[in-house]
Amino acid sequence: MKKFLNISLLSLVALAACSLASCSNEVEDIFDEDAVARLDKAKAEYTDILTSDGGKWQLEYFANDEEPGYIYLMTFSKDGSVVISGANKWINYIQSGSLNTPAYGSELSMWEVIADNGPVLSFNTYNKYFHIFADPYDIPSMGSAQTDTDVNEDGYGHEGDYEFDIMKYSGDTLYLTGKKYNLNMIMTRVASTVEDEVYMNEVVAMADSFFNSKIPQVYINLPNGQRWIVKEGASSILKMFREGDDEISTAEHHNVIITHNGLSFMDAQTLDGYVIKNFIRQADGSLLCRDDNQTTITADELGAIFTNKTFIWRSEPGSGSGIFATLYTQIAEELKAYNKSTLNYAQIAYDEATSTYLLSFNIKKGSVRYNPTYYLTLTSADDTQVAFTAAAEGDRYGETYASNCPSIRQFVDELAGTLNLSANSLLAPVNMKLTQSGNADNYVIFNLQ
Amino acid sequence: MKKIQYYISALLLVAVAAMSLTSCGEDKLGPTIFPDVDETLDPNSYSYKLDKFLKENYLDKYNLTFLYKMPDISTNMNYNLVPADYNNSIDLAVLCKHLWFDVYDKVAGEQFLKTYGPRIILLIGSPAINPTSGSETVGLAEGGIKISLFKVNSMNINNFQQMNDLYFHTMHHEFAHILHQTKTYPNEFNTISVGHYDPNNWQYRGDEVNSLGFVTGYASSEYREDFAETIACFIVYTQAQWDRMMELASRGWATSASDDDLDAVYYSYYYYPDNDAEQELVYLEERYVVTETDDDGTVHKYWRNNRDKDGNRIVVYDVEDKDGIDGAAAILQKVQIAREWFRTAWNIDLDALREEVQTRQATYDINELRKMVYDIQ
Repeated sequence: MKKFLNISLLSLVALAACSLASCSNEVEDIFDEDAVARLDKAKAEYTDILTSDGGKWQLEYFANDEEPGYIYLMTFSKDGSVVISGANKWINYIQSGSLNTPAYGSELSMWEVIADNGPVLSFNTYNKYFHIFADPYDIPSMGSAQTDTDVNEDGYGHEGDYEFDIMKYSGDTLYLTGKKYNLNMIMTRVASTVEDEVYMNEVVAMADSFFNSKIPQVYINLPNGQRWIVKEGASSILKMFREGDDEISTAEHHNVIITHNGLSFMDAQTLDGYVIKNFIRQADGSLLCRDDNQTTITADELGAIFTNKTFIWRSEPGSGSGIFATLYTQIAEELKAYNKSTLNYAQIAYDEATSTYLLSFNIKKGSVRYNPTYYLTLTSADDTQVAFTAAAEGDRYGETYASNCPSIRQFVDELAGTLNLSANSLLAPVNMKLTQSGNADNYVIFNLQ
Repeated sequence: MKKIQYYISALLLVAVAAMSLTSCGEDKLGPTIFPDVDETLDPNSYSYKLDKFLKENYLDKYNLTFLYKMPDISTNMNYNLVPADYNNSIDLAVLCKHLWFDVYDKVAGEQFLKTYGPRIILLIGSPAINPTSGSETVGLAEGGIKISLFKVNSMNINNFQQMNDLYFHTMHHEFAHILHQTKTYPNEFNTISVGHYDPNNWQYRGDEVNSLGFVTGYASSEYREDFAETIACFIVYTQAQWDRMMELASRGWATSASDDDLDAVYYSYYYYPDNDAEQELVYLEERYVVTETDDDGTVHKYWRNNRDKDGNRIVVYDVEDKDGIDGAAAILQKVQIAREWFRTAWNIDLDALREEVQTRQATYDINELRKMVYDIQ
């Protein structure tokens, strides 16, 4: 019997314990409100954030990891509409069928912050300039090795997102993740006074100032002195490999986006232990890494670029100052007086046969062109200077024109000396300013062909 | 005593158990986990007019949600799809009403679509392209509840043929699915073309499918699509389109390629080079054939703008119909089954439905229809 009582009492205690436990609150509430209320609140908060202060934002958009990113300006209105503006080759394709150059486009569509597992920014009616990256159609071929897409992408398209999980908001920046393809992107607030077309054209100009297909390679300069060579920058899909390593076996391609103030990789890159992602354009046109404030991207020194034996430089009449401006004027007058000819351009290019740089003047007389030529010997070249000496005589036409148009010969002699080099962009110095070292007023501009 | 102790213990056990069961009874339920949807429309919203039109003409009337703002999460994530263009959505919203809902209201009574109509219509800007097969889905009916209309961004309101193929046809096709998912159609229908369906390669079939007894290539994919396609084509095809299809259904077809060749082109005409029957015949597409009729009614067919070595016009012959199927009769038999099914299962006159659609298709003015949205204050 005792045994029975013991069992009964134990059962009672156990049941009582169970009954007490069953009434205890499930878990101490972590949040003050339930999930629905919090989600509704988040939707309202992000809607307010997006539409406040003029509602203008810049989205750094990546459709996938094999194409460049593109900047879009988005102006969110409380009525549910959004004006989306961009300037890229896909917009040009929509407008003209051409993929050669970027074009500006702007269109109104609709947006909403909707609820899923969290707040989602959805562009929920079609905007032809933005949703083109999500259209499931074949991507037209673009011709270059890195961007040509001869495969049939029907059903896939660019595989870009137009719905984004809002991950967080910090410092006027929204951190987004594409809902279907999970690429991370950021939106930053832009002043409401910004004019979309002006802003986007500045982004396009920024891209041109960074990379130019005429400059075959630039360098990522790490703080430890190691350089990484960057090629194909103009495609915004950078071919990168460590200087000294084999290009063919080690080079990798990484896509970037040109922003209004610099450049960002889609994903952070770790080079020799240094993590780099965002670069800001410096006053000299080079790029400085915003993440470590040390790593830079530059091209070869100006002296090396100007004396590159494969490059051809041309100067249009009038593109000079001081003595060079004067000489251009006099040359025009003398040519007219001599045989009614005109000067098209002056050109500097290396000549393997004579191991000199040839300074020639392209002169047009009727349908005939003459190229009186003079010989410049490179005596020195450093980071920002070159020095030439000129041979006393030119070729046969050079001598003829020198005797009949003495300003041409004088132009040659003015160039034969020490010249300071400068350019608007150290990354794409395709327009080089040659200034006489003794007189800053005397300069002439040559453009890389 | 033992018994008393036993009863006391048992009572205590029951009491505690009862407490444990009832102790939670007074817990209050928390608020609903589902969003409290506010159906009040904001007059300041950019889409207020369309939203109001949709609420009054679909939601309030048919309990139907007409979705034109596409949340990707409500679609099949295996496909890459984009939202519909806003202005095209307006056009489709008014056309759906005019050519579908108003038609059934008139022919079948207002209660019909309230009872059997879909509860969701979803507009999608792009087609759903299957990258493997290359096929495009332009319409989808799911469980009698939801109809999805695709390719809204490609629509050209001025191209009646395209509008008919992509939307009006799709509306009636998908609704036919909803109806037969509710009340099944006679099995007799499935026996008419048995053995001639090709679920894998139907998309490679051309006009020759009419001769096999199908109204379209898609109809030849399987029974249920055949049924929906037969109804949709009967309703939306213009008389000229229908007559043309029936003519093709009466033709013989042949191909110069292997029957296994998915890209094989089928021809309904052939000729002999130089009108010489000793030479090997050459198949010819209809677009190269010119037909002339004598005063006595004799029909002559020639290869357009071509003559033999003697300067005579080259005579063209009809390909003999060897498939053993009377395509036209098969199609008419299918229509008759659908007609009877509409009458007996739904008390709807399919011919009256067709006539009403035909009249509206031929006479609608999109600018007038748009006013239903644009004139909303």
